[in-house]
Amino acid sequence: MTSHAQARTSKIADIPLRRRFGAIWWIALGVSGALVLLLGYTLASVTIFGVGVWGVNIPFVWGFDLINYAWWIGIANGASLFAAILVLRRHDLRTAVNRFAEGIALFAVICAGIFPIFHLGRPWLFYWTFPYPATFQVWPQFRSTLTWDFWAISTHVVVTSLLWYVGLIPDLATLRDRARKESVQRIYGVLALGWRGSVRHWAYHQRAYRLVAILVLPLILIMQSTVAFEFAVTLVPDWHETRQPLHFVATGLAQGLSIVLLVAVLLRWGLKLGHYIDEGDIDLLGKLVLASALVSGYLYLDEFVSALLSDGLAQEATFNRMTGDYAGLYWTAIVYSVLIPQLLWFKSARQSTIAGVFVGVSIGVGIWFDRFSIIVGGLQTDYLPSIQRTYSPNLAETGLFLGTIGLFSAFILLFARFLPAISMFETRHDEHEEKTS
Amino acid sequence: MAQLFTPAATTLFRVVIVLVGAGIVAAGALAYVWARSDSTWNVGKPAPQPVPFRHDLHSGTLNIDCRYCHSTVERAADAGMPSAQTCMSCHSQVWVGASVLDPVRSSFTLGQPIEWTSVHRLPDHAYFNHAAHVSKGVACETCHGRVDQMPKTVKTQTLSMGWCLDCHRDPVPNLRPQEAVFTMGYDAHDKDLPNDIREFYRAASQRLTSCNTCHR
Repeated sequence: MTSHAQARTSKIADIPLRRRFGAIWWIALGVSGALVLLLGYTLASVTIFGVGVWGVNIPFVWGFDLINYAWWIGIANGASLFAAILVLRRHDLRTAVNRFAEGIALFAVICAGIFPIFHLGRPWLFYWTFPYPATFQVWPQFRSTLTWDFWAISTHVVVTSLLWYVGLIPDLATLRDRARKESVQRIYGVLALGWRGSVRHWAYHQRAYRLVAILVLPLILIMQSTVAFEFAVTLVPDWHETRQPLHFVATGLAQGLSIVLLVAVLLRWGLKLGHYIDEGDIDLLGKLVLASALVSGYLYLDEFVSALLSDGLAQEATFNRMTGDYAGLYWTAIVYSVLIPQLLWFKSARQSTIAGVFVGVSIGVGIWFDRFSIIVGGLQTDYLPSIQRTYSPNLAETGLFLGTIGLFSAFILLFARFLPAISMFETRHDEHEEKTS
Repeated sequence: MAQLFTPAATTLFRVVIVLVGAGIVAAGALAYVWARSDSTWNVGKPAPQPVPFRHDLHSGTLNIDCRYCHSTVERAADAGMPSAQTCMSCHSQVWVGASVLDPVRSSFTLGQPIEWTSVHRLPDHAYFNHAAHVSKGVACETCHGRVDQMPKTVKTQTLSMGWCLDCHRDPVPNLRPQEAVFTMGYDAHDKDLPNDIREFYRAASQRLTSCNTCHR
């Protein structure tokens, strides 16, 4: 480590160690906190009164709960897939975005996990989906999508938090060394797990970090496919398609990348990190988001062509999503997740903070409408005509959704406040390599 | 800068990791044992009742048939609790002045049922039918124990789903000939059952363990 590099990364380390953090941070945390309270309120009401407080009813047993679950898990999958690829490729962009991409994945999977647990109706019995020696002497039904949810989410939490934490260890040690108060030093010291920065430590650390990253790759594909299979294995004409996993994985990646872009431009602006997340990084990120949006566009086209090739009710069901009661959802999804991101063809848009926020939010919104269209619009055409009715979310469900957004932003704000938002050791490594070459 | 941690800190940290791991395993083992213990299922624990009714006296000493009070046990899902009229068929003559029977007399006068506390309460989503069991040779004693020896009515079995399944997976050892269903102190063994009935129930365990047999 050169003294030059140390001086440069010390700015990142000083952010979490600051005494004061400004009014905007407090206001943002206050708003998020209020939404978290709303989350607590809606969760308490569904726990006490049951899922009857939601607007779901046969055939729409999956309403906002599954829409938001599929949406959050998509963000988590996209962000961690992106982070893992950057680690494995040792790509330059990793120094700038990896830390918070991993964080986004972890926070999103926590938000995602809330929905399947609370839509059980008796959330306190969620552990029944886990195969343990229960007194009722029956194993969980392994063909049930509920048990799949359990494995997908719990694996996701374990692997994503490992990826995030292993990457944090050397930086926690830096914070320990730079903190002024002894109590703060001790907290970061324990979290750094006795890191001394010896060559052996670095060798083990590199191995562990890459090992976890390589674990992420197949797991993400499997888990996102699991979410897609929850729909594909049913007999609902619009869901019963082998293309479903591809659709969920690819649009999930677009969604994860767009949220990474959104947080990147916000952190860059809020913490004044322009030097570490430089214009080249943002430019590259913008191009990636654009490419993933084009892939989403291709998949919408594929959906249409698949519908043309299929016959009978499956075709009718897909066309009903495009022209029926819920056509608005489908077309909103296309406009927001495919058309608006085309702005990023322009270099000036890729460099602009406002355009970055706009496109980041837009893809998130677009994919959310896509999930809404699949889960609700897709269910409208079924083999039984008697169940052709409509679903709209009520206040309890909307509150729950807003609450998870508040929880997510509260996590992001606390993360930006107390942990280094940029990977310091990776930045030092890159700068060192630049100097020696 | 002073040293933050002493050299012993690493050892301490490792010990804590091991202890936390051991604690998790111990908590799991404890939960396993606790979930199976009689006290968790209120086995042997009497419930507070409005009248100190004694099964040992009525069913044991006086030898009154179970069906005299639980009259719908052969015909309905619910075994049935006696109305105050049933009690008064004897108690209008015996123990006429006893104050412990006040709730029975006021129930009789007002036409309001006595509020007994249920001892054998099954979960909401479990469907149990007394008549189906009794008519197929499952005795009262098999689930309720030696009621004729109980001064206070208690559970003798956990009534957990696992306990139900123990029998549903292999009912034959617990079945009795029809005339022995209401007998107390019967020695259960399947040699008294005709062979074709034994064969029938060995083949039926598939149906008896299907989810919607009990959860419908």
